[in-house]
Amino acid sequence: MKSVLRFGAFFVGILAILVLLCPPGGFAAGEVKIGVIYPLTGGAAAAGRELRAGAELAAKIANSVMPDLPMTMARNSGIKSLGGAKIKLIFKDHEGNPTLGADLAKKLILDDKVDGILGCYHSSVTKTVSAVCEQYGVPMINGTSTSPALTKRGFKWFWRTTPHDRWFTKDLFELLKGLTEGKVRGVRAVPKKEIINVASACEKTEWGSHVSRLIASFAKEYGFNLRKSLLYAAKSADLSSEVRSLKASRADVLLFASYTSDAILMVKTLKAQRVRPKIIWGQDAGFEKPEFRSTLGDSIQGILTRTVFLPKVVEIKALAGKVNALYKAKTGNDLGGASARAFTGVQTWVHVLEKVGSTKPADIQGAANSINIPGSELVVPWAGIKFSTSGEELGQNVLGSGLIGQYQKGPDGKMGLEIIYPFDVASADMIFPFPGY
Amino acid sequence: MDILVSSLAAGLLIGMVLALVALGLTIIFGVMDIVNFAHGEFLMVGMYTGLLTAQSLRIDPLLTLPFAAIVGFVLGVICYVGFVKFLLRGPMVAQLLGTFGLMLFLRNLALLIFGSEDRALHHGLLVGKSFDIGMGVIIPATKLAAAGLSVAAFWAVWILMNRTKIGKALTATALNSQGARYMGIPTERMNALAWGIGGASVTIAGALIVNFWSVNPFIGLLFTMIAFAIVALGGFGSVPGAFFAGLVVGIITEIPGIWDFFTYTFNIRWMANVPMTSFKYMWVYLAYFIIMVVRPRGLFGWKR
Repeated sequence: MKSVLRFGAFFVGILAILVLLCPPGGFAAGEVKIGVIYPLTGGAAAAGRELRAGAELAAKIANSVMPDLPMTMARNSGIKSLGGAKIKLIFKDHEGNPTLGADLAKKLILDDKVDGILGCYHSSVTKTVSAVCEQYGVPMINGTSTSPALTKRGFKWFWRTTPHDRWFTKDLFELLKGLTEGKVRGVRAVPKKEIINVASACEKTEWGSHVSRLIASFAKEYGFNLRKSLLYAAKSADLSSEVRSLKASRADVLLFASYTSDAILMVKTLKAQRVRPKIIWGQDAGFEKPEFRSTLGDSIQGILTRTVFLPKVVEIKALAGKVNALYKAKTGNDLGGASARAFTGVQTWVHVLEKVGSTKPADIQGAANSINIPGSELVVPWAGIKFSTSGEELGQNVLGSGLIGQYQKGPDGKMGLEIIYPFDVASADMIFPFPGY
Repeated sequence: MDILVSSLAAGLLIGMVLALVALGLTIIFGVMDIVNFAHGEFLMVGMYTGLLTAQSLRIDPLLTLPFAAIVGFVLGVICYVGFVKFLLRGPMVAQLLGTFGLMLFLRNLALLIFGSEDRALHHGLLVGKSFDIGMGVIIPATKLAAAGLSVAAFWAVWILMNRTKIGKALTATALNSQGARYMGIPTERMNALAWGIGGASVTIAGALIVNFWSVNPFIGLLFTMIAFAIVALGGFGSVPGAFFAGLVVGIITEIPGIWDFFTYTFNIRWMANVPMTSFKYMWVYLAYFIIMVVRPRGLFGWKR
């Protein structure tokens, strides 16, 4: 009996030593905590819901085995190189407020002990959150903020997967140039003088101000006449004087950078003021949200928006179609620019963690800098994900690209986005000029 | 020329609505010498009332005005009886800080209930409709209706104040509260009534404005500032002054349109680059500042 007790005490002692020596979670597959900071309430709440759904879907795929999906992260349950550790997303709401975003980032890093950060949609918030991450040496991947300045700060803990506004704005002017050269599907060459006058209205934020400056710069470069360039207060309750000012400019092409509530209000006011330019183009954000479509109905026929993902992409990419089906089952909506990029942001995290097999920040930094995800893995129509590690744009994905879509009514009577640019993947003839509301 | 006419028409239409916004402020000040900092929050309550009533009862937003009026009247009376009445016993600074506190309370209550999201009406008989009155001048139907109904509400309040016994009792209370009490006028009730009428007029304005503006819990501050400017310009306590000043302030907010008229009529390039729409309310506050310096009692003011 005594020896049995002695053996039991010895066994318990060994067990206690092992418990003390091993790190927590050493025995079981643990979890990797990613802090996700998005605008879940406020003016961009609609986008926030979309972003959250996209990120959650990617985490779900990463945390389970889905043999039907031809992507690496669907093959294993969790991160294989971390012993099957599951991805745990901790969501926080920044309400579009940069100060709040920075506070939330600190909270995630210090209280929740996250292994990395994903976010934040608004460039202004991404700016402050990435500064906090840089200060604490915590890796941050950004999938949806498009202000060019974000990757020009030389940050070592910040990587951006999405193409930025310089590329998108250039795409727009390439489209306008293509119109004058007869390159646009279904439209004969338009004399330049018919679309030479452009005007822009962008929200007065980090992102909108940048877009406004880019439009001015590209208009000059491409030989267009910028008749009016105005900035308005974001989340405006009324845009009638801005719209009257745009109307007064007699511009042929109206360009906007607005989040959802402003984009809806802008088009409503344009309609009420009977402003009928030849082209209306939105710099993604609000112009692409399901709410924009459901609220304004048929009056958006012919409006263009830049994006990185359209449901039509599923016709080009089978993988996108499969992921889109899962997303639609979850939310009732098709994947959009925001959700597809949020999905890709989480996916990039999974690839980085899989590659490094560690959650140490320095290891993650090295893996992110050398990651090369092929385009075939992605739902977005990019050549892949590879971050710039030198030069002016540190941490910027160099393999991304944009699309320009146009709202058109399909044979089923539903309003959808057709690909108009790049010209070689156009899915429909462009409606030109804008037919009215 | 269409730019100029459009801007002036838009200024006059919104001016009529802004006049109604300021009416409640001027009545309350006229009767009790108290400045209500929560005035814009009353308007916010009116906007939410109009929006939620239209959405829940599935009626046209313009038909929600009686609901908004009742809510505003009750809110005004409750605020007076439950709060302001006690503030009046204290010094002037207590009254100022008290209504400031009321503003913060209403704003945060709205934030708690509705969240910070912008909400807007997208459907309604007149929402999105407009009239072409010729020369390329477009008048949005919602603004035309709001202006017309504002004038009607203004007229009704003017009749009440000038042609009824209640109105005369209110005026008597405003002129000499103690004397009115000696004459048998229940001044306490008159004060409550002033808050009720003030609350109802501003919530009606809110229910009209929500036809073309979105609402969030922070919208009140802008309207409080505009209402102060209108009341300062028209004269504290003056009903006709509020109407006239409302029109003037409406036109002032359209200075960017007048600027555009000169820009594009005379094709002056540098003028096109001036971000006038970003400063559209700056001119209102400038006018407020000037009138406070030059003529503190306003153009039609009778209170010294």
